[in-house]
Amino acid sequence: MNATAVETLVPILGSITEVREETHDVRTLRLDLADSEEAESFTWRAGQFVMVSVFGAGESALTITNPPAQKGFIEVTFRQMGTVTSALRRLSEGEPVGLRGPYGNSFPVEEWRGRDIAFVGGGIGMAAVHAPLWDVLGNREAYGEITVMAGAKTVADLVYRNEAGRLRDIPGVRVIQVVDPGGEEPGWDGEVGLIPQVFERMGLSGRDTTVVVCGPPVMLGFMLQATTRMGTPPSQVITTLENRMKCGVGYCGHCNVGEFMVCRDGPVVSGEVISQLPNEF
Amino acid sequence: MSKVAPAGSGYQTAGEWAPRIVAFTCNWCSYSGADMAGTARLTYPANVRIVRMLCSGRMDPLFALKAFEEGADGVLVSGCHPGDCHYVQGNLYARRRLEIFADLMELLGLDPRRLHFAWVSASEGVKWSELIGRVTRSVLEAGPNGEWLSAPTAEFSSAKLPEPGPPPRTAPTRDANAATTSHLRQLARRLLEEGEVSRVIGYAEGAQSDQMVPAFVETPEDAERLVWNERCYANLANYAVHRSGGATALIAKTCDAKSIAGLLRENQLRRDEVVVVGVSCSGIWHGDRLAAKCYGCDEDVSPLADWTVGPDGTARGSIPAAGRDTSPDPRDAALEALSSLPPDERLAFWQGEFDRCIRCYACRAVCPMCYCDTCITDKHRPQWISAPQSGPGNTSWNVVRAMHLAGRCSDCDECARVCPSGIRLDLINRSLAQGIKRKYGTMVSADPAVKTALTTYRPDDAGRFV
Amino acid sequence: MEQAGWILDEEQWKAWAGSLPASGCRVIAPARGPRGEAAFTKTDDADQIARGYPGKTQMSPKEFLFPRSETLFEFRLAGNTVTLVRPPRSDNKQVLIGLRPCDAAGLRRLDEVFLQDPADEAYEHRRNQTVVIVEACTEATPSCFCTAVGGSPGGTEGADLHVTRLGGSGRILLRAITQTGSELASAASASWARATEADFAEAGDQAEAVSSSIRRQPLPARTPELLEGSFEAPEWEVVASACIGCGICTYACPSCSCFDIADTGGAACGSRCRSWDSCAFGEFTKHASGHNPRPKQSARYRQRLMHKFAYFPSQHAGQLMCVGCGRCIDLCPAGIDIHQAVLALAGAARAAHRGADEGVPV
Ligand SMILES: Cc1cc2nc3c(=O)[nH]c(=O)nc-3n(C[C@H](O)[C@H](O)[C@H](O)COP(=O)(O)OP(=O)(O)OC[C@H]3O[C@@H](n4cnc5c(N)ncnc54)[C@H](O)[C@@H]3O)c2cc1C
Ligand code: SF4
Ligand code: SF4
Repeated sequence: MNATAVETLVPILGSITEVREETHDVRTLRLDLADSEEAESFTWRAGQFVMVSVFGAGESALTITNPPAQKGFIEVTFRQMGTVTSALRRLSEGEPVGLRGPYGNSFPVEEWRGRDIAFVGGGIGMAAVHAPLWDVLGNREAYGEITVMAGAKTVADLVYRNEAGRLRDIPGVRVIQVVDPGGEEPGWDGEVGLIPQVFERMGLSGRDTTVVVCGPPVMLGFMLQATTRMGTPPSQVITTLENRMKCGVGYCGHCNVGEFMVCRDGPVVSGEVISQLPNEF
Repeated sequence: MSKVAPAGSGYQTAGEWAPRIVAFTCNWCSYSGADMAGTARLTYPANVRIVRMLCSGRMDPLFALKAFEEGADGVLVSGCHPGDCHYVQGNLYARRRLEIFADLMELLGLDPRRLHFAWVSASEGVKWSELIGRVTRSVLEAGPNGEWLSAPTAEFSSAKLPEPGPPPRTAPTRDANAATTSHLRQLARRLLEEGEVSRVIGYAEGAQSDQMVPAFVETPEDAERLVWNERCYANLANYAVHRSGGATALIAKTCDAKSIAGLLRENQLRRDEVVVVGVSCSGIWHGDRLAAKCYGCDEDVSPLADWTVGPDGTARGSIPAAGRDTSPDPRDAALEALSSLPPDERLAFWQGEFDRCIRCYACRAVCPMCYCDTCITDKHRPQWISAPQSGPGNTSWNVVRAMHLAGRCSDCDECARVCPSGIRLDLINRSLAQGIKRKYGTMVSADPAVKTALTTYRPDDAGRFV
Repeated sequence: MEQAGWILDEEQWKAWAGSLPASGCRVIAPARGPRGEAAFTKTDDADQIARGYPGKTQMSPKEFLFPRSETLFEFRLAGNTVTLVRPPRSDNKQVLIGLRPCDAAGLRRLDEVFLQDPADEAYEHRRNQTVVIVEACTEATPSCFCTAVGGSPGGTEGADLHVTRLGGSGRILLRAITQTGSELASAASASWARATEADFAEAGDQAEAVSSSIRRQPLPARTPELLEGSFEAPEWEVVASACIGCGICTYACPSCSCFDIADTGGAACGSRCRSWDSCAFGEFTKHASGHNPRPKQSARYRQRLMHKFAYFPSQHAGQLMCVGCGRCIDLCPAGIDIHQAVLALAGAARAAHRGADEGVPV
C-alpha cells in the first residue's frame, strides 16, 4: 500500500504533464505527483492500477501503463466512455488530477523468466499489457521470444500504433497488428481477421509460451479456447479482469466475482483461476 | 436573511440581495420577444438569465427543480401563444404538464410567487419587459429562496394528519375467502390444463402470515398454492411484462387492473399476452385497518376482466357486484389538513418527509408504471438528481417520481405501502390526480383506449400561463 | 472468567443511562418513528433512553457508523491548484443504547469490512468514539432467526455493555463486556449492587426461553459450502422470482456495507460523497460499455445471498454475514424470505449431493 496517502479514500494530488493522442477516443496521459517526496516513494508493479480523480466528475480505475522502472511519474491510457473518462479527456497539460493507489496484484513477470511470451491486446486492452511488456523488455535477456499482437476494429483504432517500429527494433520481438475484417485501409500490411484466429495460426509453441491477453470479454473467451487447443496450460494464460469498482481497496462491494475481489485479488488473473470463478465478469 | 433591495431601486446594489431568476424560453417566440425588447432598448430588471429551448414543450420540470436547487429564487417559463407553436402543439402539452407541476410545487409549499408562466410572441417586446418587471417584483416579495434547501424543522409531522374514519365495509369472512380461493384454484387449473395460459400469477401464503406473496404457478397441480384474502396487498401487474412463452393469467384487484390498462395503453403489454382474472374484492386490510385507497373504491371488478371470481363462483367477463358501500377517501381529509397549513409549514412537512428518503427506489421498483430501462436518477451525464441521500437529491427524486406518474398513476398505492420510510407518496399521487380531474375532467381510465390527461390537451385549457 | 455485573433498579438505571447526554455523549436510543415504528434516534430525553422497547427497530443502527451519505472531502479549484478539505470529525463519544444482540453483531460484520487493512479512516474514527450497549431480547418476532445463524437473543457479540431486564421484576442486570464498557459505567458502578451467580443464571434462562420461542429452523451445517456449489442451481430463479429489484433489504440490513462514490458540484468546487448502494440494483455492476456481469435480477439476488452465506464466510473463517435480524423479511415488498431462500438452496444442494453419492441422476 502506498504509505503517503493521508486517507484511503482521499486522493493525493498530481497533474497532467503530457498528453498523447493514441486514437480518436484513446489518450495516454503522463501524470506527475505534486509532492516530490510522494513521487519518490510512489512505486508499483506491472499490472497494478490507480484510481484517477477528475474533481467534480469522479474516479476511474486505470491501469498504470508505464513499467515500474520509470520512477517518478506514471502513465495511463484511457478510452473515453462515460462521465469520468469524458471529463478526463477535457483536461489538458498542467491541469490537476487526483490519484489513489497503486492497487491490486501484478503480473508474475519473475515466474516467466526463460519462457517465450505473447502479449495480446484487443482495443483498449493493449493498455493492460503495456506495463508488463515493457517491464519484460527492460530485462530482455531474461526471456525467450517475445510476440506482441495488437488488435482493433479498424486501423485507426489501434492503440500504441506508433510504438510498433520501436518494438520491432528489439531483437527477438515480433509485432503483429490485426484489424477486424473491413477495418483495413489501402496499403495495410498487417493482418485482417479476429485476434484468436490469427493468434492460433501463428504457429507458436503452446507449451513454451506464456500468453498475456487483455481485451473485451468475448475475445477473452475465444482466446481461452484457442490457447487450450494450442496446449498452453491454463496457468500460463494470464489476463486481467475489469469489473466496475468504486473504492479499489475492498470495501465498496462492487467488483467481486464470487469470492474473488477484482480490486484486491486481481485484476491480474490466470486462466486456471478464471475457470474456477463463476461467470460474473 | 440578507438585506432585500426595495422594489424599483435598480435591484443590483452591491452587498444587497438581488433575486436570481432563470427564464426558460422557447426559441421561436419568447426568445425573439426578449431580443426584441433588447433591440428596442426597453428597460427591464437585469436579474434574469435566459435558457433557450426549442419549444416550451421541451420544458422538463427537472429544469426548474435544478434551477431552484442551484440557487435560483424564481423561475419563468415562456413560450409561443396557443395556436402559434412552431411545432403546432408543443406549448399546449406544456401548458397541462406545467400546470400540474405548479400544483405539485404548491402542495410541497414552494412559494407560488417564485414560479411563473407566460406566452410571449416574437413581436411582444413590451410584454416581455413588463413581464420581467412583474416577475422580478413578485420574486422580490418572496425574498431569497433559502428555504428550498434548508434543513427540515417540521412542526407538523405525518403523525398529526387526521386518522381515517371507520371503514365503510367489513373485512371478508374466512368462508368467503375460502370460497374465492377454491374458485380461483379451479379456474387456474383449468386455464393451465386447457393451455390457454402458460402461467398464472397470483398470491400464496408466505412464511409470515401478515402478507401474501406473489406466486408463479405453471402447472395445474401447483394451482393448489393459490389463495385469496384481504391481505393480498401486492399489485401483480408488474410481473406480467417481459414474459415470453405464452400468455399469463393475472389475478387482479380492480385497482391492479387499472395498472394493466396502463401497461396496455403504453404498449408495455399486449392484450393477447394477458388474461385478466378479476377478483371480487372488498378491500385490503392491515389488521382492522382498511387501506385508504379502498374507502372510496366504488368499482368492484374491473371492466377489463376476462374472468370474474368471487365467493359465489366464477364467470366469464366482468361481473361487477351491485351496491357497494363507500365513504370519503381518507387521503382527501389528510390533503385538506395539509392545504390549510401556511406554505412554509407545508414545505417543512414535506422536507421532513423527503429527508427520510433512503433512495431505496422501492417506490419505483414496485410501481407498474415505472418501467423505463434506465431511470433518470441513474443517468449521470448530466447528473440531474444528485446522488447523496439527503436534501436536494431526495426532493428532486420525489418530485420527479411524482411528475412522471402524473396522469398515469393507477392509484394502487403500492409505492406508499412499500416505502420503508413511510413517506406519504399516496398523498402526492392523490393530490395530483385530484387536480387533474378537477382541471381536465379525467381520472386515469380503466379503458386502455382512453388517453391519459397529460398526453392530450384542449385548445382552451385553463392554466397559469398569462 | 469471572463475570462483572451489577443489578440496578429502574431508578438507578434511568439515573445512569439518562445522564449520559449530560456527560457529553451523543446518545442514540430507540424512539418512535413517524409511523409509530421503533427507530434509532439521537435523543437527550432520559425517559426515552432508559425505557426499552419490544421487538426490534425497523431499520438497523448501522447508519450511526456507516451513514447513508457522507462527505469524504470537499475540493476547491483555483487555476490549476486544488485544495482538498476533509469535513471535521467529532471527538464526542457516541453511545448506541438498546441495540439488539443481532444489531451489535451486525456492526461487527461492518468492522470486518471497514477495519481491514487499510482501515477506512472515517469509519474507524467513528467506531473508536462509539460505545455499544446491547439490550437482550425479551421476545422474538416472527421474522427473527438469530439462533439459526449462530446468534442468541441474549448474545454479547459486539456489545461493550449488556443489559437484561429480568422478567417483570424491575431489576436490570448490567454487564460490562469490554474495557470500554466498564469505563463508561465506572463513574456510577461503585454504588450498584454486584450481580450474583443467580442473576446471571436468570438472564441465561431468559435468553434460553426466548431462543426456544424462535420457530425458524437452524441452517444446515456447512451451508456456505453447500451454497458455494450451487451457483448454477435452478432454484435461484425460483427464490428470486418475485424480487422487484429495490434496495430495501440491503438498506435495512445491519451488515450490508456496499456503497457508491459520487462527486457533486461543478468544476470550481464541490464534494465527493459516498452513499449506500445496493447489489439489487441493475446499475450496480454495469460497465460504461453497457456490459453487465449480472444482467438478471436473479443473479443480483444470488449475489446478496451468496455474499452473506458463502463468500463472506469463506473470507472470514466461516462466520456468516447475516445475523438473522429478519428485517429484510419484514420489509420486502414482495414478501421474499431470506431464511426460507437459504434453506431452499442449501436443501437443494444437499439433495443433489446425496443424489450424486447414490448415483441417482440429479
Ligand atoms: C482494474 C481496472 C483497470 C482498468 N484500466 C483501464 C485502462 O487502463 N484504460 C481504460 O480506458 N479503462 C480501464 N478500465 C475501465 C475504466 O475504469 C472504465 O472505463 C471507466 O471507469 C468508465 O468510467 P466513466 O465514468 O467514464 O463511465 P460511466 O459509465 O459514466 O461510469 C460511471 C462509473 O461506473 C464505473 N465503471 C463503469 N464502467 C466500468 C468498468 N468497465 N470498469 C470499472 N468501473 C467501471 C466507474 O466507477 C465509473 O465512475 C479499468 C477498469 C478496472 C476495473
Ligand atoms: S420507497 Fe421511500 S425511501 Fe425508498 S426511494 Fe421511494 S420514497 Fe425514498
Ligand atoms: S440479510 Fe436480512 S436477516 Fe440477515 S442480517 Fe441482513 S437484514 Fe437481517
